[in-house]
Amino acid sequence: MAGHEASSTPQMREIFGQTLAEMGGVHEDIMVVDADLHTSTRVVLFKEKFPERFIQVGIAEQNLFGVAAGLALAGFVPFPCTFASFVARKSADQFALSICFPALNVKVPGSYVGVPTSKAGASHNSFEDIAYMRTIPNLKVAAPGDAADMRAVMKTAYETPGPVYFRVVRYSLPDLFDSDHTFEWGKGKVIKTGSDVTLFGTGMMTDRCLKAAVLLEKQKISAEVVHMASIKPIDEQLIIESVTRTGCAVTAENASIVAGFGAAVAEVLVENFPVPMKRIGIRDSWIDSGDIEDLFAHYHMQPEDIAKAAFEAIKMKESKRK
Amino acid sequence: MQLSKEQIVQLEDFAYQIRRLSLEMITCGQWGHPGGSLSMADLMSVLYFKVLRVNPQKPDWEERDRFVLSKAHASPALYATLAIMGFFPIEDIYQYCQIGGIEGHTDMRRTKGLESSGGSLGMGLSIAAGLAYGLRKKELFKSSVYCMIGDGESNEGNIWEAAMFASHYHLDNLITIMDYNKVMAKGFVWDEMGIEPLRDKWQAFGWEVLEIDGHDIQAIYDSLYKARWIQRCGKPILIIAHTVKGRGIEDTEFNYKWHTQHPTPQEADQMLRELSVRYGKPAAGYSRLEGR
Repeated sequence: MAGHEASSTPQMREIFGQTLAEMGGVHEDIMVVDADLHTSTRVVLFKEKFPERFIQVGIAEQNLFGVAAGLALAGFVPFPCTFASFVARKSADQFALSICFPALNVKVPGSYVGVPTSKAGASHNSFEDIAYMRTIPNLKVAAPGDAADMRAVMKTAYETPGPVYFRVVRYSLPDLFDSDHTFEWGKGKVIKTGSDVTLFGTGMMTDRCLKAAVLLEKQKISAEVVHMASIKPIDEQLIIESVTRTGCAVTAENASIVAGFGAAVAEVLVENFPVPMKRIGIRDSWIDSGDIEDLFAHYHMQPEDIAKAAFEAIKMKESKRK
Repeated sequence: MQLSKEQIVQLEDFAYQIRRLSLEMITCGQWGHPGGSLSMADLMSVLYFKVLRVNPQKPDWEERDRFVLSKAHASPALYATLAIMGFFPIEDIYQYCQIGGIEGHTDMRRTKGLESSGGSLGMGLSIAAGLAYGLRKKELFKSSVYCMIGDGESNEGNIWEAAMFASHYHLDNLITIMDYNKVMAKGFVWDEMGIEPLRDKWQAFGWEVLEIDGHDIQAIYDSLYKARWIQRCGKPILIIAHTVKGRGIEDTEFNYKWHTQHPTPQEADQMLRELSVRYGKPAAGYSRLEGR
């Protein structure tokens, strides 16, 4: 399944920009609204092809989401594009009340999610968006894990009436899926089967879960890897089915573990099938400036950290059995 | 454009009914904002009964005008207007603030005739501007977007982001009315956070500005006529409507305490009697006063 190396592949934001430009050619009702970040978010690729359907609002993110709401009321399918930290923090109220409360048909990419933002530091790193977004009624939330997944999520997002938030990471990812891959709300995918522990990944962290599974294999531990691009709704059935087989779980997210993806999995398990579990992600911390790979090491979000968490989860499972 | 005496009498009567029903629903729901509902009643009357191209039988008619209530806490005046117009039965207003009934602020998914949802101040003008841009893009040139904003609401930075956007894109199909009732939730605007010089500020942002007495039916109509037919010159238009917060009842006029306070049924009975007498009608109190 896993294909070419990450370094040779375009970043996910590039895939997003290319896909949006392709979709613009098929769907004439798509409008892209930008707040002076189009070369960073890569919606510049849409702008170049369809300047007449590209609206610049300037550095005014509150207005960005209000204008998008108005465009949706006029019958367009707007994509207001900015950094995730400005969706989930700066303009959280406009996004929630003007778009999600009336369930308007607006598709919102959150760019520069989590740790990799170049060296921008705390102001531009979004760690809270998963936690915040999944509490908002009417909203669907996704974090694609590779290029094919990004294309599939965007296709489904367009076809889904109502508001959608999806994460766009500034990072290159190796292929998890073939080009005919599809995405469905509330459905996860087993990427690798295993019997000792389930590694649940979302977004870019599924790739790290796969790498952790390879490390675990060397220690004779069989890890199942499940990719969950659909964070809300979440695939409760698959979560329960998988841990019924493995008996313990580790979650991995490029976001805060507080109320985030791991918490969503924990909610399902606690209410239905409690098992030992560990969460990998940002641990209640603002994100520092620094080299991206150094930051992943600093915040304990490397494959080695996931493997270590798996060991701990398995140990907890075994001690429960004694 | 001169309205006939009969037209003015009729529009004043609609304004009276809007004020009455606003107080009825706030009293019945035991929640709401009487001051800002009463101040904009005359504006709502002229807008909906003389200017807006809307049809209660065809609420989704593509070529209709759109009205966005940015100061959505004054929703009773809008609900009353929509009910009188026939978007829903008048009886429904007594479901105000009841679970599953009519939302305290505005929920477009719940009440027919609403064009937006709101309640958090500063947001409506952005929505209206996006809508105006979208309608122009769709070449729906007969449709205009009307947006009602508050004076206190203009403290919000979001209002000025939207103002900048609307003038940058020459949205002259966007007509904004400021209900300048001088009073916000906790005091007079100039004490809480001054917004003057308003005309200069909006003109500096690239807007065409008109200024009127917001309780003068003829003046309201003139300004809306001008905004639509005469002064469209590639600029969004602001009508500063000078109004009296709580207009219609002596105790509520320019009294910040009635921004949010809801009257008891007995108080509402007295208020509605006073209102009817002021309009030269036979004294009529609160319709749901117990024992009546």
